[in-house]
Amino acid sequence: MSLDLHKVAGQIEAAASALNAQGTDRADRLDRALGVLANARPDDLEEKRQLSRATFLIPGLVGSMAGRHPCPALPASYTALAVDGSHIDVDRHLPVQCFLINIGRVRIRYGDDPGAWLDSDPRLYADEDSLHVFEPGGSRSRPLEGPLLGAMRAVEELRALANLARQSDPDIPTIALIDGSLILWGLAGQAHPEFVREALLDDLFLPAMEDLRELARSRPLALASYISLPRSTEVVNALRLDASLCHYEAANCDMHCRTLRPGQRPCDGVSGVLDRELFEEWLKVNERSDLFASSSTIVEGRYGDHLVYFYYLNAGSELARVEIPKWVAEDSSLLELTHALIVDQCRKGHGYPVAISEAHEQAVVTVGDREEFRLIVEDALQRRRLPVYTSEKDRSKRTKWL
Amino acid sequence: MAVDETRLGEVVETTTTGFWAQCYRLYEAPALGALVRTGGPYPAYAVVHHVSTQGIDASRRPVARGADAATEQDVYLSNPQLSQLLRTEFQAVVVGHSVEGDPRYHLPPSPPPIYAFVYACGPEEIRRFTSNVAFLRPLATSGIAALEEVVAACLSLAAQAQSDSNGFLVEAGKQLMGILPGEFRRVEAILQRATR
Repeated sequence: MSLDLHKVAGQIEAAASALNAQGTDRADRLDRALGVLANARPDDLEEKRQLSRATFLIPGLVGSMAGRHPCPALPASYTALAVDGSHIDVDRHLPVQCFLINIGRVRIRYGDDPGAWLDSDPRLYADEDSLHVFEPGGSRSRPLEGPLLGAMRAVEELRALANLARQSDPDIPTIALIDGSLILWGLAGQAHPEFVREALLDDLFLPAMEDLRELARSRPLALASYISLPRSTEVVNALRLDASLCHYEAANCDMHCRTLRPGQRPCDGVSGVLDRELFEEWLKVNERSDLFASSSTIVEGRYGDHLVYFYYLNAGSELARVEIPKWVAEDSSLLELTHALIVDQCRKGHGYPVAISEAHEQAVVTVGDREEFRLIVEDALQRRRLPVYTSEKDRSKRTKWL
Repeated sequence: MAVDETRLGEVVETTTTGFWAQCYRLYEAPALGALVRTGGPYPAYAVVHHVSTQGIDASRRPVARGADAATEQDVYLSNPQLSQLLRTEFQAVVVGHSVEGDPRYHLPPSPPPIYAFVYACGPEEIRRFTSNVAFLRPLATSGIAALEEVVAACLSLAAQAQSDSNGFLVEAGKQLMGILPGEFRRVEAILQRATR
């Protein structure tokens, strides 16, 4: 029996009514946030941020925070590089343990000598060494599956992007784009032991970032990641420190407001507003915001020279978050390059960077592909007279019977 | 290695009586009615009767992109990926084959394999193959859409390759009358179009 949509529909209606009721309150908070942003004193906020112990993520403020930067001129020629990945996770119902990462790679050159190269690079990981992250010199290991495989895929995407950049024409401005965040959120927190972070982040991801920086020393190359429909609230969180909302000299949420429920705290006057909603009102089409520095623990603790900065961009059809490494943020020509080229990419891609969109198309693994993959695995095993078995649960799911 | 200039593409779908070929370059399909030759163990001669250009991924329909472009060419120049995402294909009906270089005017024992190269026939090859109007029978009885247009286009191209174009068209007309008995008006219409 499939999902009973009649039963669900009534619940959706009730949820929509509740959202509607919250609308007015939300609009008031957005207005308040815009007012705080217009009058904010970033230096004071930054000083307070450094003294504070907040329970929410507040970005580093570098200079102003209410700036509106118009789109710089587009270079006559440029190259857009992009990668995106998808994967087939380890399936314990399959007769063999393995996973597949498919990286879509795109290079599009505009202006003089226009051309495009679209490609995908699927890789199967089936040997024991590839299926786990091992503790060097120790006995512990973690299987690469689920969210950890997602992190591994992000690592492989950046490595592929670095390779793509190395092969690209060094003489024309180039943007290397990645879908999503430069921050490996999957490795943040305490979900994984230290040796996993070392293996994926220190040994693979950051060296790929360093490769890109090395290339950028001798050519006009900027790395950026593009987050569509971001749900982050970091800039709004910074506004919560404003003296008009938080009266303490240094915020310490746990000490000052621990007994207050969310919604009753003074800073809740702007809470719940997304950065995206704030900058949708603040920025005109093609304008970007000021830069902010990510203060996430994983970035501040491990990214070193590749600290992540971000800005918001009104790309016309949507408000996007663009993340860049420190070495792009500190080079005004590279920063402007990301702004101009991402705006052009969104224009060409009907609201979304066309290079990322095409990389996604190259990477996508459809339901049909997954089934075909399973059949090829089974066929390969059978031809070698290796046992092909699957779980009864899986057989039951695939065989409809009465 | 440089690709032979006359190589147009490769067979991507094949049957006893015809095939689909994908062109190497976008929009560079042979003309309607053109004679082409395949590779494979039994090189087939075929007449192009259908050309299509569409997205490689059937689920991605092209969207209008040129509102701000001055020319159609500008649309492609400012979206270079399009040439990788669109493909031109053509369909051809087999009208004969070649055995050790000699033309045969009946179907080959087996159709050209998938990925067989497809070549454009040059004037001398067209002259040689079409000098025997027997090639018209499999074409005119093939049941393809726009049959009259295709036969007329084919005759027009073949006549240009023959030293006696008028004599060739007279022979072709007689052959068509035999293939399409009682359809004088139809044959007349084909010949009129072929001589335009």
